[in-house]
Amino acid sequence: MSLPADNAPAAPRAGATEESRPSLAALLLDPSFWADWASVVGLVGLVILFGITQPVFLSVANLQALLLAAAILVVLSIGQTFVVATSGIDLSLAAAVMLGAVILGLANAAGWGVFAACMLAVAATSAIGLLNGVLITAGRIPDFVVTLGTLSGITGLGLIISGGEPTMVGSTFLLKLASGSFGPFGYPVWVAIAAVVVAHIALYHTRFGVHLLATGGQAESAAALGIRTDRVKIAAYTISGFCAGIAAILLVARIGSAEPQINTSLLLNSVAAVVLGGVSLFGGRASILGPAIGALMLTALVNGLTLLSVSAFYQPLAVGVIVVLAALIMRYQK
Amino acid sequence: MRIFNGLTLGAGLFATVISASAQAEEAKVAAIVKGLDNPFFQYMQKGIEEQAKADGVGVTVQAAANMGDATGQADKLTALAMQDFDCYLTNPISVSNLVQALVPVAQKKKPIVNIDSTIDPEQAKAAGFGVSTYIGTDNVAAGALAGEEMLKLVPTGSKVALIAGIVGDVGSNARIKGFKQAVEGKLEVVVMVSADWDREKALTAATDILQAHPDLAGFFAANDIMALGVERAVQTSGKEVKVIGLDGIIDALKSVAAGELSATVAQYPYVVGAMGVEACKAAAMGKELPANVPAPVLLINKDNAEASLKNFPRPGGDYPDPFREMLK
Amino acid sequence: MSTVNHIAPSEAILACQGLSKHFGGIRAFTDVGFEARRGEVTAVIGDNGAGKSTLIRCLIGVHVPDGGTIYFDGRQHPFSNPDEARKAGIETVHQNLALIDELTVAQNLFLNREIVRRIGPFALLDRKAMKAQARAMLSRLSINVPSVSQRVRRLSGGQRQAISICRAAGSGAKLVVMDEPTAALGVQETANVEALIRKLREQGVSVILISHNFDQVRRLSDQIWVMRAGRMVATVRASETSGNELVALVTGAA
Repeated sequence: MSLPADNAPAAPRAGATEESRPSLAALLLDPSFWADWASVVGLVGLVILFGITQPVFLSVANLQALLLAAAILVVLSIGQTFVVATSGIDLSLAAAVMLGAVILGLANAAGWGVFAACMLAVAATSAIGLLNGVLITAGRIPDFVVTLGTLSGITGLGLIISGGEPTMVGSTFLLKLASGSFGPFGYPVWVAIAAVVVAHIALYHTRFGVHLLATGGQAESAAALGIRTDRVKIAAYTISGFCAGIAAILLVARIGSAEPQINTSLLLNSVAAVVLGGVSLFGGRASILGPAIGALMLTALVNGLTLLSVSAFYQPLAVGVIVVLAALIMRYQK
Repeated sequence: MRIFNGLTLGAGLFATVISASAQAEEAKVAAIVKGLDNPFFQYMQKGIEEQAKADGVGVTVQAAANMGDATGQADKLTALAMQDFDCYLTNPISVSNLVQALVPVAQKKKPIVNIDSTIDPEQAKAAGFGVSTYIGTDNVAAGALAGEEMLKLVPTGSKVALIAGIVGDVGSNARIKGFKQAVEGKLEVVVMVSADWDREKALTAATDILQAHPDLAGFFAANDIMALGVERAVQTSGKEVKVIGLDGIIDALKSVAAGELSATVAQYPYVVGAMGVEACKAAAMGKELPANVPAPVLLINKDNAEASLKNFPRPGGDYPDPFREMLK
Repeated sequence: MSTVNHIAPSEAILACQGLSKHFGGIRAFTDVGFEARRGEVTAVIGDNGAGKSTLIRCLIGVHVPDGGTIYFDGRQHPFSNPDEARKAGIETVHQNLALIDELTVAQNLFLNREIVRRIGPFALLDRKAMKAQARAMLSRLSINVPSVSQRVRRLSGGQRQAISICRAAGSGAKLVVMDEPTAALGVQETANVEALIRKLREQGVSVILISHNFDQVRRLSDQIWVMRAGRMVATVRASETSGNELVALVTGAA
């Protein structure tokens, strides 16, 4: 193609100007910078606060324990992030963890090898995610209705197949997974780190990631450009289910048994971590590091308050205050 | 603006933190109980705190966020294990969820006192520790007490119905088992249903059962909440059917005193917590603890309901307490 | 339709014959014949509800017509979705622009045809290449935006329209379809977009333009097709018609 310079249109200077990096001062004055990094700012703040008030908080042993305790929530927050990025929400996440754990426990008790049992658990929770996605897209039912429905359905299913009873899982592999470590971190922490890295690459360095954000941002526009938004959404929910399966394995490893009890705080904290991480609940804007750090921050908060002997009554309150504050900050994101 | 928000939040937290500063005592006890969203564990916490004050022991009580928060409870215990407590008082959500968190405690050779719900001894052994003592109520014995009371209330050969908690719940099973053993061959159990520890579900179930068995003489519900629901159904039906509950919560005691519920079997989470603190103090003093100590269980009927209410959440009368003897 | 003159197929980049589309009992258009010549700007005009937008949506695969045939680039092409049409070389600038606010200019320009590097079984985005190509695409059409890394949310209406057109034209498309490209723009921005459309034409891109603005249509296009009440009623060379004639054709007063 030739470029006839003499017949240039009204634009005086053509082409995109050079990439300009905003200065640090400009960055610090930009409200959306703080909104994007709310979780980091919060985490640093908490570390300083707790570090001063309770020196044990900064001990290597406590920091290691803190990371270990955060691993499950980090994995779940990543799953929730993919769904929230499509402007959806997965309320069945904690229930899927429970079902994954129960299936792992029962399969193991039925004589399956522990690896096979773990695979089965992950397959089951991924299938739940797939089901969520299909119901939401093909059934044209709002996400929170579908996942609320599967939340209840899974709860029942978990009780039915487990008979309401916990199952011991005495696997040495899982015991090692929970208590062993490589380098400075325990294995669950490495699992969480791996999840963060893989999810970050998927979100920022693959076509799927761009299509996910496009679908969450403006689904109609994305569809007009030939992006199969339904498939993208189904994939997001399936990823969420997959993460629930990984979390279920970590959970069973950590507590040594599979129990048909749903830990609702896992669900609430996964959403909270996503909000703290600067992910827009309206979709289209997401990061992986943000929610991971958000999860770390929520865990650090409970850890610090426990070390400071603050009554358990005040801990949910503190989490609530922080999440609402973060949501307020998000309003300045634009 | 944002920084300002952050600072406000930080300052708020800081204030909370300062107000909760620690005090110096001769022994420091860390207690971790189940969710404080249930009055049962609130009384347990009260027992722990009041006994600690009476004995001059410092205590920190932490709890899971809810009854499903198995990992959260473990995380909190892990945090407590970082600090220098002389004894750890634990009421685990499941038989295994605290096992790993207790390993560092055992490595520091600090005594572990297990109250209310048991820690699986085999898993503990595999992890390399054993609990110093277990203090808890015998649910089978409590159920049997209820069964014996039922035998006194209704003629031999009468029909009774059982309302259980969540399917498969260990506590519910044990209570029902105790009741059945006590009435075996003397009363006819016509039906057993699960009402998930829920008052409304128990009410609905009891209404249906009363329709199906018009000649029913008594109900046993595996906890007081459900018993109160059953009692409501019985009142609505206008029939003279005896209802016995189990737990000894304050509403049930009031109901017994008012002549509605026939009886309840009271367990004392307050005493379980208090005995736990005594056990911790004894252990810190280097005493040898008995492996298993039953917490008191008392049958409350019209005769002693008023006295029980007056002393609530402590028992209406004295009870055997081996730790109290040790500390003398 | 006596006024509809048929051209030799090789001259037409896109043509259709006997095309019909109904939605339930409602007739959108019936028995429509239409051609867009290679290298020309072809306008479709008509009153609201005349069936222009639905016709275009059938041509680009958003709707599947009930009857009739579509030829694109000399071959019969029933597109079953916009992606197929896009792959065949038809790009569309939608009325709502189909831009994703939260994505950057470069991401929008390459949406659903991202450049990837293959690493074993994985395909990773080549963001550097996309940014560089995005800059080249913009400068080729003399479009001015602050940075290709800027989120589209922060751009003006005219800039967004330009990005949308640039995306449509930039992939070596054989045909760019524009639905009311200046409807929401001010005078200066409209002039910029018109200049852009001329530029496309100079570069040999065929354009189908849907518009309400008869003056604009006469300024920009080579051939004008007129729809009325679901039928294609006339076609004229832009150089041989007047505004009054177009009004008469559209309203049926002729």
